[in-house]
Amino acid sequence: MNARPFGPTWRRGWVVRALFALLLAQLAGCAQLVPQTIGLRTDWPAGVPERTEISELPFFPQTDYQCGPAALATVLAHSGVAITPEPLVSQVWLPSRRGSLQIEMLAAPRRYGRVSYVLAPRFADLLREVAAGHPVLVLQDVGLIAPQWHYAVVNGFDYASGSIYLRSDIRPRVVMPFTAFERSWMQGGYWAMVAQRPDRIPVSASESGWIEAVLALERAHADGGVGMQAAWTAALQRWPNSLPAAVGLANQHYARRELTVAAEVLREAHRRHPKSAVVINNLAQTLSDLGHHAVALQVLQNAGGEAAQVFSVELAATRAQIELRSRQEISPGAPAVTKTEASQVQPVQPRRGARKAPRRAAPSARERPASP
Amino acid sequence: MLRKMVCQTLIASLLGVSMQTAGAGMIGADRAVTASTQAHRTLVLSVLDRADTSAALQAQGIDPAQARERVAVMSDQEVRQLASDINSAPAGADVSVGGVLLVVAVAAAVWYFVFRR
Repeated sequence: MNARPFGPTWRRGWVVRALFALLLAQLAGCAQLVPQTIGLRTDWPAGVPERTEISELPFFPQTDYQCGPAALATVLAHSGVAITPEPLVSQVWLPSRRGSLQIEMLAAPRRYGRVSYVLAPRFADLLREVAAGHPVLVLQDVGLIAPQWHYAVVNGFDYASGSIYLRSDIRPRVVMPFTAFERSWMQGGYWAMVAQRPDRIPVSASESGWIEAVLALERAHADGGVGMQAAWTAALQRWPNSLPAAVGLANQHYARRELTVAAEVLREAHRRHPKSAVVINNLAQTLSDLGHHAVALQVLQNAGGEAAQVFSVELAATRAQIELRSRQEISPGAPAVTKTEASQVQPVQPRRGARKAPRRAAPSARERPASP
Repeated sequence: MLRKMVCQTLIASLLGVSMQTAGAGMIGADRAVTASTQAHRTLVLSVLDRADTSAALQAQGIDPAQARERVAVMSDQEVRQLASDINSAPAGADVSVGGVLLVVAVAAAVWYFVFRR
């Protein structure tokens, strides 16, 4: 561009060059102001339409400071929960802060059997979810001088006019330019969440992130009955190699005493993860419950290595129990004991709280769309 | 009151642990995510964290029963995180007019002192 001669004197050329440098600096400044919007201009996410709007999304105008309950009710109602913001106030509203914390926004949907999932901090992921029909709850800083945190729900966008559509405070349809939206959104670290039915996995979900999210729902409902079977089935379908999904699905079948199905799921998991001590233990337990004690003991023989050391207590207990059962079945003298023993042996509740911190999908710099 | 509750919960959970250790059975999906060697210790810490977080919520004006319910649906990591930064975490609220008024006041002051002379 500046290769073209602009004037006869070197002085003029110098001025043009200085102006050009200034322009470049300005562009760089812009890129820093709204890096992801700049990236979207040249790198629109593949498969995302240029225009979409979830117009059937319900709208609950907020009352004083209670944008959290209102925004949460919006996404929950869209996922099929019959709800209004009022009952959510006592679940996420913090009087002293006159607002709602992100963690509580994540926790509350679990009471309604919904999985809360935090999106990766990427504009592209937000657009992908909205395009897939999942309204996205975002945290914005709408303060002019001091930070002023606010929750709103993104329900559409239009590439041509560069606008984002939101349900926000008392306005059912706020139209914001991509740039202004990104400025408000980036202050909170591009925080965005969806609340999904357990069998509807977000299109942008990572395997580890979604599994953690489903486990958090399962933990909140230790008594079951929140569609966990559908949740694990869907997860296993999306990620056939997922070990927790297979174990979770098998445990759901086991809890319903659908032992043959549980054994099938575990056999497939064992084929894919031959070293997993959890699969070995659970498969042996299930086979033994089906009466195949010898096969169960054979399966237990496969346990070894570091994984088996961690679960050595469980594996030893399972082995001892199966050996006891098979001895009692072989010895004809004690059929009554067999019966008693069989009725005593109940599956132990899955142990909670033994999880390590979830591996949050922290996007590296290179994953972000490059600015021009 | 809180201490007593924590103790009772801890005793109950420890009993639960010992029973689980003694019995054979199915291992939960949560333990398939990762193999923790310190399962029991983590469990006890989790109970403590939950009591802590519940107390932190109560200090913010939530009644005890509601605070416990709110903590009950959190994951272990969320519980730990909330207890540590309940005062610093952003709390999404309303769009207030305070900021607008401040801007107007500053603009008026600038106009008065700079341009009116």
